[in-house]
Amino acid sequence: MADPAQMTDELAAIVGQDFVKTDPTETTQFSIDGIVPKAVVYPKNTRQVSEVVKYANSKNLAIVPWGGGSKITMGHPPTRLDLVVCTRRMNHMKDVDVSNLTVTVEAGVKFLDIQARLATEDDRCYLPLEDLITDGNEMICSDRSHSGCFLPIDPPCPTRATIGGIIAADSSGPRRLLYTLPRDLILGIRFVAADGEIIGSGGKTVKNVSGYDISKLMVGSAGSLGILCEMTLRLLPLPEAMETLLFSFDAFADASGFIDRIFDTQLLPAAVEIMNRNAFGKIMRGAVSGFQAGAFVVPVALEAFQEAVDRMRNEMKKMAAESNATAEAVLPETEHRPFWLAVGDLNPSVAENHPGRITARLNYPVAAWKEIIEYAEAALEEGGIDHTLLAHAGSGVCLINLMITGNGDRDQAADAVSKLLKRCLKSHGNLVIEQAPVEMKQKLPIWGEAGSDLVVMKRIKQTLDPRNVMSPGRYVAGL
Amino acid sequence: MDRQTLVQRLGEIVGAEHVLSSDMDLELYSYDSSLEKARPDVVVMPDTTEEVSKIMALAHAGKIPILGRGSGTNLTGGTIPIKGGIVVHFSRMNRIVEVDFPNRTVTVEPGIITLDLQTEMLKDGFVYAPDPASQKVSTIGGNFGEDSGGPHCLKYGTTSNHIIGAEVVLNDGTVVQTGGKSQDKPGYDLTGLLVGSEGTLALATKMILKLIKSPEAFKTMTAIFETIEDGANTVSEIISEGIIPATLEMMDNIVMKAVEKTIKVGYPLDAACVLIIELDGMPDGMDKKAEMIMEICRRNNVREVKLAKDNAERAILWAGRKGAFGSVGQVRPSYLCCDGTVPRTKLPEVLAKVIAAGKEWNLPIGNVFHAGDGNLHPLIMFDERDPDELHRVHKLSSAILKICADAGGTISGEHGVGLEKLKEIHFVFSEADLEYQRNIKQAFDPESLLNPGKMIPEAEEAVQ
Repeated sequence: MADPAQMTDELAAIVGQDFVKTDPTETTQFSIDGIVPKAVVYPKNTRQVSEVVKYANSKNLAIVPWGGGSKITMGHPPTRLDLVVCTRRMNHMKDVDVSNLTVTVEAGVKFLDIQARLATEDDRCYLPLEDLITDGNEMICSDRSHSGCFLPIDPPCPTRATIGGIIAADSSGPRRLLYTLPRDLILGIRFVAADGEIIGSGGKTVKNVSGYDISKLMVGSAGSLGILCEMTLRLLPLPEAMETLLFSFDAFADASGFIDRIFDTQLLPAAVEIMNRNAFGKIMRGAVSGFQAGAFVVPVALEAFQEAVDRMRNEMKKMAAESNATAEAVLPETEHRPFWLAVGDLNPSVAENHPGRITARLNYPVAAWKEIIEYAEAALEEGGIDHTLLAHAGSGVCLINLMITGNGDRDQAADAVSKLLKRCLKSHGNLVIEQAPVEMKQKLPIWGEAGSDLVVMKRIKQTLDPRNVMSPGRYVAGL
Repeated sequence: MDRQTLVQRLGEIVGAEHVLSSDMDLELYSYDSSLEKARPDVVVMPDTTEEVSKIMALAHAGKIPILGRGSGTNLTGGTIPIKGGIVVHFSRMNRIVEVDFPNRTVTVEPGIITLDLQTEMLKDGFVYAPDPASQKVSTIGGNFGEDSGGPHCLKYGTTSNHIIGAEVVLNDGTVVQTGGKSQDKPGYDLTGLLVGSEGTLALATKMILKLIKSPEAFKTMTAIFETIEDGANTVSEIISEGIIPATLEMMDNIVMKAVEKTIKVGYPLDAACVLIIELDGMPDGMDKKAEMIMEICRRNNVREVKLAKDNAERAILWAGRKGAFGSVGQVRPSYLCCDGTVPRTKLPEVLAKVIAAGKEWNLPIGNVFHAGDGNLHPLIMFDERDPDELHRVHKLSSAILKICADAGGTISGEHGVGLEKLKEIHFVFSEADLEYQRNIKQAFDPESLLNPGKMIPEAEEAVQ
């Protein structure tokens, strides 16, 4: 094992003395599941990342990459952890090509900054610029040409996430219903492989079949194959009109009936969500005037030409009334944007009062959504577990925060998770534990259940990271 | 294993009547839609995944090269068995396995003709969006291998965005399921990696395809321009103005003339180019979008913009576009279709350079392509029986790809690298990049039996 002082010096030679931290006050802030790295390094560009990884290989050190840290709790605890490579300084937008609807950014660029940079000159932005909080260290892009486009990803933890982390975690949210997934939006990527080589794939063009589609391999690879450094993504023009409809229901059957009716039409909403009262309460910290939330709330995002938004609003209001909606509200654009930002920040909100929570992300073929949610609600109620539930109704994803507090709740929660996994598997779905107390992780199915293609995933990991340098043990089945 | 034994062993797996090995058979399967040729040792036509698995295991044990074939319409030599061996022909595995409208998926076998599948789905109001021009003949399996494109990619994405799961047979015969009806399966996106891998990593025996609801409304327009530059600028501006049409295609004068000889679309024979623009989706606001597009056309000196009145007119417009490649056969007997793709805004300058290159090498070039996503298809027209023309064609093609790569684009938008572009691949990849790709190949096929010699050049070849 390397002599610590020597390691510090050798890393400092690559990134600069100020950007190697070995002091426990710093390194503990980058602990992963209670394991503290020996050092945290802040490279400033791809070349430095490459040299750090090559150095790690030469000294047999294990690396975990870190962007904003918003998804760092995903996965098993690392079997080894020596270095955290933090991309915070890699925060440059290398190419903003609005006419081509592409953007090339370094991995450490914050999601918020990308959207801000794409706003129009008169501050029309996909996110609520006026509400964004950034600390003094972040680079806010103040130079904006006439843009008026946005990056159509709707990630959880939008206020903290970096684009590198979003891609590595394959983060998506409610508006994937209209705008598709990160895998469909990524055009090119540059990353440092496990052996330290800088590898590029794809480019700026919307179509590209030259070589293997390595961008897709990297989406969702969660730091197990390399460190993402730069990516090129598709953009879309800002919608002409944006608003949110909120509908309240007392019974799940009414809420789901309403949603079924929407999907029977050819209307094209940007998002159709269903959430329980707890979730809505965390999201809307203040009340929406005149809107009393029932047991379930169905928010619908509309983002389109004005005429289309008008028609969708009129038709949906009618359908909701016919489905026994107990209340409705319309959030204009100025409230629509912070609303969806708050939806993305649900998990951090829950964390404030429930640090010991378990966050489970269920997935299933979309047609099973009603049965899955009914089952989940019943199982959680039976276990007496307070929870938030938020589902992307048209996308087959359900996020549940089991808000457990005492140790006594833990067995019940683990039992409930086990039941939920079984139920999802029965519908050809799965589940992932995004967050749980470290002591519980051993007992929980962190990545659900692996499928028959695990044999291929093993081959890939073993071939592309034979020395197991990258996030060892964290990925599916301990890869 | 000698050929006789191989034929016999394959016959034991699929039945002797489904194994082809006569001289004539091998000749018939020695070519595809590229300019390459090579004979396999045997062609086998399985009917089930289990048979494919046994065939792969046999090839693996005997160290026999093996590749898959659908309709052989690929343009880059992907189905040419340059090292001989086994061609697995999927013509019998052409079924719809399961239709699941509530989940918006359909599961098919690789041999199904793409348009046949689409026609079937449309009966219930569902669309499988990727529409390569070859769709009347090409198969879903072939589309999977190449990550095929088509005019609707601008808005809807390519084949890879519409295949969400697959059953694949690995090099040793192991059968695995990748992806699934839920797109959030934890783990590596193996489906995404396999689509477009040109048969070099595995053979897919089932695909789960994503369906979307048929759009409520359509508006199809043609816009005639006096110069290619005006047309290309219009393409750029439409996107910059915030309109993403479902398709945005361009055809130049040479191609228009060829098309008019066979299909009477009504193209003017004296215009420089025509744009075919289609909007789809909710009808609300569509009139406004169409008017915005027409305004942009007018700003760029358009001669005329026409809206298709009804479905019949729309069908004729599309027949013209989809028949374009075929119709240039009247101009010269052979064509080489380049597949370079560039960022959309570079179209005007790149097109000008391509036209200049054609003049330099003294070969006529017709342009018909997916202008909206910058995917060019310069059709170099020639007579392949003339060895000097053939030689110049390859030089010109390479030069065109270099122009595209230098403009920040790539060498293949949708047709694949295959055999055709092995040399040009280093326009867009470094040696480290290629080595990484070889490692991926190594993970799947260390013996290099699956469609060998395609897509990624050998290490020695890359060192020019």
